[in-house]
Amino acid sequence: MPARARAGAGVTAALIATALGAAACGSSTSTGATTSGGTGATPITVQLTSSGCTLSASAAPAGPARFTVTNKDADAVTEAELVSGSRILGEKENIAPGLSGAFSLDLQPGTYSMKCPGGSGPEEVPFTVTGTAASSAASGSAGTGSSSAADGGALQAATTGYVAYVQQEVGALETSTEAFVDAVKAGDIAKAKSLYGPARVHYERIEPVAESFGDLDPEIDARIADVADPSNWTGFHRLEKALWADKSLTGMTPVAEGLEADVENLNTLVQTVTFQPAQLANGATELLDEVSRSKITGEEEAYSHIDLVDFQANVDGARKAFELLEPALKAKDADLAGTISERFDAVSTALKKYRTGDGPTDFQTYDRVPAADHKVLAGVVDALAEPLSQVAAEVVGS
Amino acid sequence: MSVSRRAFLGGAGAAGAGLVAASCSSSRKSPAAADDVVAFHGANQAGIATPPQDRLAFAAFDVMPGTTRAELATLLRTWTDAAARMTAGLPVVPDDAARPEAPPQDTGEAAGLPAAHLTITIGFGPSLFDDRFGLAHKLPAALARIPALPGDDLDPAISDGDICVQACADDPQVAFHAVRNLRRLAFGTAALRWFQLGFSKTSSTLTGTATPRNLLGFKDGTNNITSDDHAGLAAHVWVGAETDQAWMKGGSYAVTRRIAMRLEAWDRDNLADQENVIGRHKISGAPLGAAAEHDAVPLTAKNADGTAVVPMDAHIRLAAPSENAGLRILRRGYSFTDGTDPDTGELDAGLFFIAYQQDPRKQFVALQRKLGAHDALNEYIQHRSSAVFAVPPGTQPGGFVGEGLFA
Repeated sequence: MPARARAGAGVTAALIATALGAAACGSSTSTGATTSGGTGATPITVQLTSSGCTLSASAAPAGPARFTVTNKDADAVTEAELVSGSRILGEKENIAPGLSGAFSLDLQPGTYSMKCPGGSGPEEVPFTVTGTAASSAASGSAGTGSSSAADGGALQAATTGYVAYVQQEVGALETSTEAFVDAVKAGDIAKAKSLYGPARVHYERIEPVAESFGDLDPEIDARIADVADPSNWTGFHRLEKALWADKSLTGMTPVAEGLEADVENLNTLVQTVTFQPAQLANGATELLDEVSRSKITGEEEAYSHIDLVDFQANVDGARKAFELLEPALKAKDADLAGTISERFDAVSTALKKYRTGDGPTDFQTYDRVPAADHKVLAGVVDALAEPLSQVAAEVVGS
Repeated sequence: MSVSRRAFLGGAGAAGAGLVAASCSSSRKSPAAADDVVAFHGANQAGIATPPQDRLAFAAFDVMPGTTRAELATLLRTWTDAAARMTAGLPVVPDDAARPEAPPQDTGEAAGLPAAHLTITIGFGPSLFDDRFGLAHKLPAALARIPALPGDDLDPAISDGDICVQACADDPQVAFHAVRNLRRLAFGTAALRWFQLGFSKTSSTLTGTATPRNLLGFKDGTNNITSDDHAGLAAHVWVGAETDQAWMKGGSYAVTRRIAMRLEAWDRDNLADQENVIGRHKISGAPLGAAAEHDAVPLTAKNADGTAVVPMDAHIRLAAPSENAGLRILRRGYSFTDGTDPDTGELDAGLFFIAYQQDPRKQFVALQRKLGAHDALNEYIQHRSSAVFAVPPGTQPGGFVGEGLFA
């Protein structure tokens, strides 16, 4: 879980929107760049109001679109999210009065809602995407705007492969969580402790995907500092505290059952998930940001200290996404692909020092890692994350 | 650069800098461009004899394990190119806006700000000359690690380093931006070891300008070597024929010391004692027993009771060239604060001392050996970090800082 609560900073939102946040700045220079995430994006304005939000258009054609979110004087409403059912596709948060921001998406035909919570009126405004996804011909519903046909094949394989990986990991998460939950319900502390790490691994590998489903990530993975009211704290880390700090599972059965239900729900949701290639790349970078933010600091697993297990799992998930994109990336920038591959190796090498075996959970506890080593670990992660952050732009094509 | 800096900046014009800043322009355009750009290329690196700018951002880096000699050279070339652009008031890359789907290569916080006399000065610590890069035979004798000195209480985490970057500018954000972006370019090759901001210059190297004050409230460094004192620079600052390493000719050696000041105790000391500790009058800056700041220090003058007018342990007496066989250093330090001491709540502030010289063994070390043992000021200060760097000569367009190491 991130250092701060975020109910849905999803793959799409957090990184595609972040990258384009830069464009919001760059595009107002005298270079004459269009407003956009690419040439020809449909501009849509979202005005935050005290009752919710109003859109400049209730429909748009399929293809690239750029949502500019502005807030003149709405104190209570500060974010806009484009959602499909329960899934956040893109969002801009923290738009306080006087501020504006933007996010871009490659829209597929269908019915969506723009959600602007906190106001006095309806929370959601319907939004329709019409026509066919003409710009995404290369890879169907998961395609990107401007890939060539050749890239499209490789990218299609990447996104399909990632869907399979996510489904495999979430399937394993469900199985391992069930075993963990059973031990908790049985009051078997020793057994529950031994099953905690094996379940965590599968979550940490695909965490950005879970984060794209609104409240699921905070329910599953919040740390105590992330919740407003500790009595509502749920998920893995609540149980982690019970096991390692409180050394008592009294009252934990409802928490365990809630966790199991959330994970089952996640498994249902990922059966129909699709990705754009940039989401794979951005999700990989996001996983490394997770490592920097909460694993190297030792904040993620504050009671069990299995932070290195999460660390390796985040890196594994990032590497999987990268390796799926690698063939397409090599065609565009072989040097970049080579650098990233080497630096993934460097991270694995740095982690090897703390291994106690070859398995995914075979690591020393983080409280035994000298503070001086934290800097070394941060260094190899930064070294990897920087070139990795260049990949999304390459696979979106420019 | 293919376009001369002057031509580019001349063309930038004076159109509303404020508006440019507000719109996050991808180029930094200064209305006073020609006046506030310090030439990057030259015989010596800028940022040494350059009149001190108001602000400092100083970083030390360690080269990451596994880095090759060729990768080190590539980093220095990358840094040189970026430094040439940033000191000219330009972003690291010409136009980030062309790729909205990629992270911007320039971090952006200096967009719209003037060049602000930014200088970027790069140097190499003794540790760079170990067995990692085949540079052992290039180690100058003068780049000896600073030995333990009287009164030291050093923190290794903020001392030493393989490479240093000194960024000075009249705008703090311009200086910070320079270090931040060089650090980003170094990811995977070199990692930040320590980083110090300085908020106010404490010395002048320009004849006829007022000497700034340090946090003790005194003018210090009145007798600094000025940038127009070519003989003084040649004799005391620039490395010349005396060096054992030809690649250092035209370079200099930087010594940095983070000197914490016990400001709470100092502020409770009476004025007469403060003046005796330093050896100057506080407000005028005149040496005790003299009338004006730049008057000679009356080292032999006696009070009626036979004691020295400038006390024997006064800071300026112990540091005076005439008391030290004529040795001088070019001081270029900055006042800093890093908030409060977490244990005591007292201010964590003082002087980030930077001195340039021809040979630290004969200059800084000799001087500090004496000051550290006898200076009355020691009651109020504590040296907490130490580093020494060989700062190679300047480069010409097409070259890179430190190229002599790889020749």
